[in-house]
Amino acid sequence: MFAKTLTKAVFHLTLAVSALAATHASADSTLDRIKGRGALTVGVILSGAPFGYIDPKSQEQKGYNLDIAKALADDLGVKLETVTVTPPNRVQFLQQGKVDILIANMQYTEERAKVLDYVPTPYDRAGGAAVVRKDSGLKDWTDLKGKPVCVSQGSNYTQPLIETYGATVKALPSQPESLLALQGGNCVAAVHVGGTVALLLADRPEEWKDYAIPFPTELIPSDSVIWLRKGEKDTQAALDNSVKKLHASGKLIEFAKANRLLNTKYLEEEQKALSAAK
Amino acid sequence: MTTATLSQPTSHRVLRNIGFLALPLIVIVWSLADPTLGREVLEWIPYLASGFMMNIVIAVLAMLLGTLVGALFGILQLVPYRLVRLPVVAYVQLFRNAPHLVLIFATTYIFPFEIVVFGHYLPFPDWIKAVIGLAIPASAYVAEITRGAILSIPTTQWEAAKGLGFSRGQALRWIILPQCLRRSLPPWMNVAASITMGTALASLVGVHELLHAATDASTAVRRLDFTIIAYLVVMAAFFLLCYPISRLTRRLEARFNAA
Amino acid sequence: MQDMSLTDLFVSLTNRIGLNYEFLATGYEAQIWRDGFITTLYLIALLIPVSLIAGLLFAACLTSGKIWLSAPVRGFIELTRNTPTLVQLMFSFLVLNTVVSNMLGGAQNNPLSPFFWVVAVVGLHIAALHAEAIRAGIEAVPASTVEAARGIGFSQLQILRYVEVPLAFRSSLPAIVNNLINLVKLTTVGNAIAVSEITYASIMVWTQRDNVVSLMIVILLFFSAINIIVARIGLWVERRLAVPGYGL
Repeated sequence: MFAKTLTKAVFHLTLAVSALAATHASADSTLDRIKGRGALTVGVILSGAPFGYIDPKSQEQKGYNLDIAKALADDLGVKLETVTVTPPNRVQFLQQGKVDILIANMQYTEERAKVLDYVPTPYDRAGGAAVVRKDSGLKDWTDLKGKPVCVSQGSNYTQPLIETYGATVKALPSQPESLLALQGGNCVAAVHVGGTVALLLADRPEEWKDYAIPFPTELIPSDSVIWLRKGEKDTQAALDNSVKKLHASGKLIEFAKANRLLNTKYLEEEQKALSAAK
Repeated sequence: MTTATLSQPTSHRVLRNIGFLALPLIVIVWSLADPTLGREVLEWIPYLASGFMMNIVIAVLAMLLGTLVGALFGILQLVPYRLVRLPVVAYVQLFRNAPHLVLIFATTYIFPFEIVVFGHYLPFPDWIKAVIGLAIPASAYVAEITRGAILSIPTTQWEAAKGLGFSRGQALRWIILPQCLRRSLPPWMNVAASITMGTALASLVGVHELLHAATDASTAVRRLDFTIIAYLVVMAAFFLLCYPISRLTRRLEARFNAA
Repeated sequence: MQDMSLTDLFVSLTNRIGLNYEFLATGYEAQIWRDGFITTLYLIALLIPVSLIAGLLFAACLTSGKIWLSAPVRGFIELTRNTPTLVQLMFSFLVLNTVVSNMLGGAQNNPLSPFFWVVAVVGLHIAALHAEAIRAGIEAVPASTVEAARGIGFSQLQILRYVEVPLAFRSSLPAIVNNLINLVKLTTVGNAIAVSEITYASIMVWTQRDNVVSLMIVILLFFSAINIIVARIGLWVERRLAVPGYGL
């Protein structure tokens, strides 16, 4: 009797949910909505300098990703609204429409490109760097086989770490927890976007004196792109145009310098290529 | 049992008060001992306080919604019509047994971010989803409490009230309900405390509440000792809020048991 | 082979009613998810005895009448009851664990895993609730029964062992079963520190795909089933232990 009611309840739940899914699919003209509301809602990640963090003095959001978001909103002639996202919830927030676009340390991967669309011109190139204890003797990614490695939940490094290098991945809610877990000895390495951890080690040498980033290569270095929902071609085209302009005018390099991105080689090449094309 | 709690020696009371203030005292003493740390803590207190306000708002609204729905469902669980009773019983069983965290994940990720009412787009922010996520288990618990309270009143009381010339409605209003309320107050307060502490789970879906604020702060400051003290502040805040509630609950329980 | 085709059948059937379980046919995601169920069941199986034993110890301390035993336990009980378990877990895992590492001279010597911390924090939290229930039960044992036991020559320890604990256990059983249901639900906080229980496994799947609803339905049914079983077993034990003529 009870089981029957339960199946019924679940069935109703499913119906309600599929109705919801249908309403999502029909809501498309995002660009019109952005203009109509006069605001661009960007999902940003606050995992630490240089990409996104809260300024200790003013308690405002700052960072490279925030600067790009601001510039894009200006270029579209609208206000900027930001929503803080974390790796485990960012894709859901975008799919639900809570944010219009994501500028959230997300690199291009084939799996992501199946469910989401992206702005073809990247705003940076980044790969994963592993922070490890200096006395651990780990020299390269292959040394991680069978060892516990900390990442953020929803990180794109999970799959290569498991499938290519055979590491035991432990995914924590966000980057600060992952780094604390490394310091506490719960994993031998913490793998995050190269720029953030390199800057952290450089900024706080005292606290991180026993740790280094010793591996010679980055894990799956790939393009950091802006992500949006599937099928929003207008928004995609408008943003692509804006990103190209930011590259050509040297703005992105300016942002990178202001936020102390350690490696700006890619941005410089892109700037040359795009300003020459003009 | 009541006599035991009432006649406790003063040393126990002193010990209890010290215990109550122990967490905030650790935070204050530590901040004073290391002024650079103290300054960071002081700078971040307003940010943390804004987070804690969110916990309180979520808890109050979730309990309000949960109590209204739960009281109704508790009564519906007792109606003689199967068609009404069974879905309500299924709801209560399913959600009483479901982890709060799972329900918060469910409401956050399944509900849309805005709803359309008469052509107007109304935003549907995360914290309201967290309110619903916690109101669902709260309503299931309250339904059980209500059902238990109504069943605990002997039927002879209805008859006695009738004998005294009360109508059925008057009997419910003046005789049955006051007793039900009294009986269900302590368990209701236990639910309230549990829901209040459940609000911390909302940090895992990105609601800007205290635990989330503490993580933000420790990401920005990036000092190990600050991270530790931030967690202590979080614990102290919840303890200062919940401990008085649970003391009051136990006192009420003791008084009702004695009566 | 049989197993494979069954999975495929399930995936295509559920797909027709709008649910997405495609990941079941893939490699590591399906593996993580299956392991998630096993880890949750293992956690529960481990936590139930841990919480009961620790709860009995706590109750013994509380009713010992010695303040150096009862005061620290009372303090711990109040702390764990009145702060969120998630915060306790994060604090233990991120702070206490680092302290332990430093004491042992480095993280490499620290044997404590996230799994240990979940068992410790959730187990002791539920133990505190058990202890309260058992203490109330011991205090509810009629004074005349204790007097009678003393009259026929039982020592203080024997009274505790043969009279108070058996009676207290019976009267606190409903509360204990209720605590165990809470225990089952609390195992989900483990996902915050990367213990690979079922919600963690589901997060790993749904962050790469967009199938929250499909996973959520399974998780809710799974926890309902476990808790119905726990409640049933509790009821069965209660009936088995019922004392004829003793009004409990």
